[in-house]
Amino acid sequence: MTREEIGQVHFSLGDAARLSYDHIKRRLGRAAINVASIALGLSFYTTLVLSDTFYGTYEGLGGAQLSVESYQYWLVMVALVVSVVGITNAMLIAVYERYREIGTMKCLGALDRHIILLFMMESGFQGLAGGILGFTLGLMAAVVSTGFSTGFDIVFKVPAARMLTLFGESVLLALTLSMVATIYPAWRASKLRPVEALRYEL
Amino acid sequence: MSYDNVIELKELHRHYTMGEDTVKALDGVDLEIKRGEYVSIVGPSGSGKTTLFNLIGGLDKPSNGSVFIDGVDIAQLDAYELAWLRCRKIGYIFQSFNLIQVLTALENVALPTVFAGVARDEGLKKAEYLLESVGLGTRIHHRPTELSAGQQQRVAIARALANDPAIILADEPTGNLDLNTGMEIIDLLHGLNKTRGLTLVAATHDLKMIKASDRIVWMRDGQIEKIERG
Repeated sequence: MTREEIGQVHFSLGDAARLSYDHIKRRLGRAAINVASIALGLSFYTTLVLSDTFYGTYEGLGGAQLSVESYQYWLVMVALVVSVVGITNAMLIAVYERYREIGTMKCLGALDRHIILLFMMESGFQGLAGGILGFTLGLMAAVVSTGFSTGFDIVFKVPAARMLTLFGESVLLALTLSMVATIYPAWRASKLRPVEALRYEL
Repeated sequence: MSYDNVIELKELHRHYTMGEDTVKALDGVDLEIKRGEYVSIVGPSGSGKTTLFNLIGGLDKPSNGSVFIDGVDIAQLDAYELAWLRCRKIGYIFQSFNLIQVLTALENVALPTVFAGVARDEGLKKAEYLLESVGLGTRIHHRPTELSAGQQQRVAIARALANDPAIILADEPTGNLDLNTGMEIIDLLHGLNKTRGLTLVAATHDLKMIKASDRIVWMRDGQIEKIERG
């Protein structure tokens, strides 16, 4: 063999997605905690944004002027930060649990960026699930909390396009937060040297 | 072009700094291993076996000296080339199997073919064939937790063969197995060495493994004490 004969290792987005899916499926408990964490933070956010939208729609239809207190947005910020920290923590534990596995993957040819991709993909799936769940919870909470003053059918009076945009923004926010929270754990995992990872006894 | 010596170690040193002390895990090792040879590396714990194993496998870099795999000095390789080498040229077998717990036996064996860029169907077909050849044809969809220790090691052996490597590195492959299962694994490895012409390097304490090998390298204090014919 000469150095020129050395080729490249492969690991496509599809491969990463399949492997992350297997991990989530087999470790559903941990994934559920992450999804719950992001869903709760996000539902708080969507409750406020949707309440604001409902009040605006109500006012546009000739109703009284109602609004969300601005300090509540500060509380939402805090809730989102807490959920990011929670996910970072859970993902760090996942990395420690999988020390040997990461070492083994590197022995089989995985590069640092493949390990990062794997963890990011996993947190992406969780963020997506948390976003959809969080939006649903937030929608229910917003309808309940504004319904008494605006009428419970207010949700159908908001233009569909506006609702869809809000849904898209919420899911995107959840996805971003979940992935930001995983940057550090994924980086730590990728920097593991295979020798150390394989020596690690849990 | 293919070289007679698939592994060549030249003046190999590996030193670790622990506080103010320098530990010489390897202290000047020269060794040549021919294609198709079965070499056992033997020695008390702390003699440098595992360090040697890691250096040959491209898992660690030497402090001094060089490791040639198939004629290429691996100290010259970057991270990408090293990953390719680990993927295509070397198959690893560990004492604790190190299977991916969330994947089935079949998916575990197919995983190295993913990194090699083989199409998924083709990789799975090959994995199935390999699992059959190690005697696990009926358990391909079981997960590691549903397999006995001996069966897990068979899966690990099939995985090590997935990309048709030139070298199999085995670190105490029978260390976690009972006598009979250990014997079966030794026979399996020995058979692969003979029928496929694989170069097999095993770090071991197991007398039965040592007896089956072509050459025995005795290590002590980071140096080669003696080399015996098997």
